[in-house]
Amino acid sequence: MSTIAETARLGQARRRASIDGWRWGGRIFLIFMLLYTALPMIWMLLTSIKSGFAAMQFPPQWWPDQPTLASYQKLLDPQNSVGQDFLRFFWNSLFVSTATTILSVIVAVPAAYAFSRFTFPGRNFLFFAVLLRNMFPAVIFLVPLFILMRAIGLVNTHGSLILTYLTFGLPLAIWLLKGFYDNIPVQLEQAARIDGATRFQAFVLIVMPLSAPGIIATAIYSFIGAWNEYIYAYTFLSKNEQLTLPVGIQRFFSENTTDFPGLMAASFMMSVPVVVLFLVLQRYFVRALTEGAVKH
Amino acid sequence: MAHVVLKDLVKTYGGFKAVNEVSLTVDDGEFVALVGPSGCGKTTTLNLIAGLIPITSGDILIGDRVVNDLDPKDRDIAMVFQNYALYPQKSVYMNLAFPLQMRKLPKDEIDRKVREAARVLDMTQLLERKPRELSGGQQQRVALGRALVRDPAVFLMDEPLSNLDAKLRVQMRSEIKRFHQDLEATIVYVTHDQLEAVTMADRMAVMNGGYLQQYDSPAQVFAHPANMFVASFVGSPAMSLIPLEASTANGATALTSAEGWSLALSELNARKVQGATTRKVVLGARHSTIKLHKSAVPGAIPAKAYTVEPTGDITFVQAFLSGAIINISVSPTIAVAPDEQIWLEFDQERIHLFDGETEMALEAN
Repeated sequence: MSTIAETARLGQARRRASIDGWRWGGRIFLIFMLLYTALPMIWMLLTSIKSGFAAMQFPPQWWPDQPTLASYQKLLDPQNSVGQDFLRFFWNSLFVSTATTILSVIVAVPAAYAFSRFTFPGRNFLFFAVLLRNMFPAVIFLVPLFILMRAIGLVNTHGSLILTYLTFGLPLAIWLLKGFYDNIPVQLEQAARIDGATRFQAFVLIVMPLSAPGIIATAIYSFIGAWNEYIYAYTFLSKNEQLTLPVGIQRFFSENTTDFPGLMAASFMMSVPVVVLFLVLQRYFVRALTEGAVKH
Repeated sequence: MAHVVLKDLVKTYGGFKAVNEVSLTVDDGEFVALVGPSGCGKTTTLNLIAGLIPITSGDILIGDRVVNDLDPKDRDIAMVFQNYALYPQKSVYMNLAFPLQMRKLPKDEIDRKVREAARVLDMTQLLERKPRELSGGQQQRVALGRALVRDPAVFLMDEPLSNLDAKLRVQMRSEIKRFHQDLEATIVYVTHDQLEAVTMADRMAVMNGGYLQQYDSPAQVFAHPANMFVASFVGSPAMSLIPLEASTANGATALTSAEGWSLALSELNARKVQGATTRKVVLGARHSTIKLHKSAVPGAIPAKAYTVEPTGDITFVQAFLSGAIINISVSPTIAVAPDEQIWLEFDQERIHLFDGETEMALEAN
């Protein structure tokens, strides 16, 4: 008896120790990852409130001697030519990204639902075909897409970018959403249909609200993809008034000088919409909405 | 309320026949259990009645209306699902109100009906909660409430109790039975648990392999199983089935075992055996009809006890006979030890005889 109890106790102690080891390893790893991601952001913020001279100093000023918001004022001032450009680029990016997001949700939601719930000829083939686009590096499609856009007269329009971004974003949006629909028990729809709903009503009234976290995640994903995209925007657009932010920010580099505080302030403001979007909507990611729907 | 008629109902998936020419009638106000092992087609049959899957051929009537091609919403049915399928984003109140909202009832009538259903099921204090904040029994009750709130013609229930713990299951079993009696509801109830079917249903439809095996009252199914499958499925522990051979000598018929013993049959049973297609006959006996003796008795067959399971008021003894497992129940005052020599006496009035080839019950003609 006593030996059995002892062995059990020893085993327990050993197990606890190994869990603690993993836990500490995990913490150190997370701290490292946090620094790795946060430090460049912090440095960006610090540089953006320095003067042009202070930004170039070596050894660097870890904390600016004379913090200034001059760069922000310049960028947000519609009277000034830099400000005008920046605000226009910002608006262009917002338009392209929002349009991409809305279109990709409108297409991905019914597509993902169909892949999840129905069997139809060619279902598996189509499902993997949507991924094909993402198996190749984006650059490969640059020239063909440019020729295509020129043929249909979309070069130098925002439409060319929206269409291109959809070819990136949609397949993954469909994959992401299908996973969400797979996890919503089919009995919920069946119950709704017996309770008097049509198939469409069951989808809109019961399934859609439950897949809201998935739709939001998908939307954010598409938005960020479009918001940050550089190479296509650089290739497809050449008129100054059409540029999007990632391309427009380039103007801070010039032949002789680079306005680092201005560049950093612009970069910071470019990250604001994404961060705000994330902070506002993040609770939807974590909330397990289907909990309590069915007994497992 | 309404009656339900299934006529030659067939459902195939590719080449697989999930439901095979099932015909049965559920009378108005009747509680019918569809019972059978996993994959026997009982849930498919229920989904066909509900309209959740299209039928391959045959007819379904609810009331006097053929509903073959109607949407679930137009069939005037309510269903309770095994996993309850409560709308997780809606409160209990809104869950109960949903079927009424879909029928565009006025708000005050919805409110009245929801509160009435909540009162009947004793969950008025739960109305504002979300399903995830409820216990399993409460969730089950909400699912029941959502079904009864709008007076459907037929209630369909798909293993509604199988997710509950044993104690709650017994309690809900009597609640559903009470619910059926009070509402005089027509209920089609799917279960794999023959005990649920026997205790709750007016009639039970035993299914296997997509075929309807027997459709009768639980008492009839228990007393006169139509074939070996039904005999072994209904009743716990299962009926013992012993494969034997019929032989006739000097005008008397007996069943003989390859082990050397034989059982003389009564005149009635001998006549039954004459109807068998071959000489192979299977002897069936329920545990309570077999008498266990601790010493040799004329007509009793020697066997060896294999396991002994005391359950308190009854002790179950298992023995092997002709390669079959025999269940015998004895009073706990009789002490039997494993490997002990025992003698088994079959009751000629209460044994069942089956055709060894067709597996159908043998009847005297």
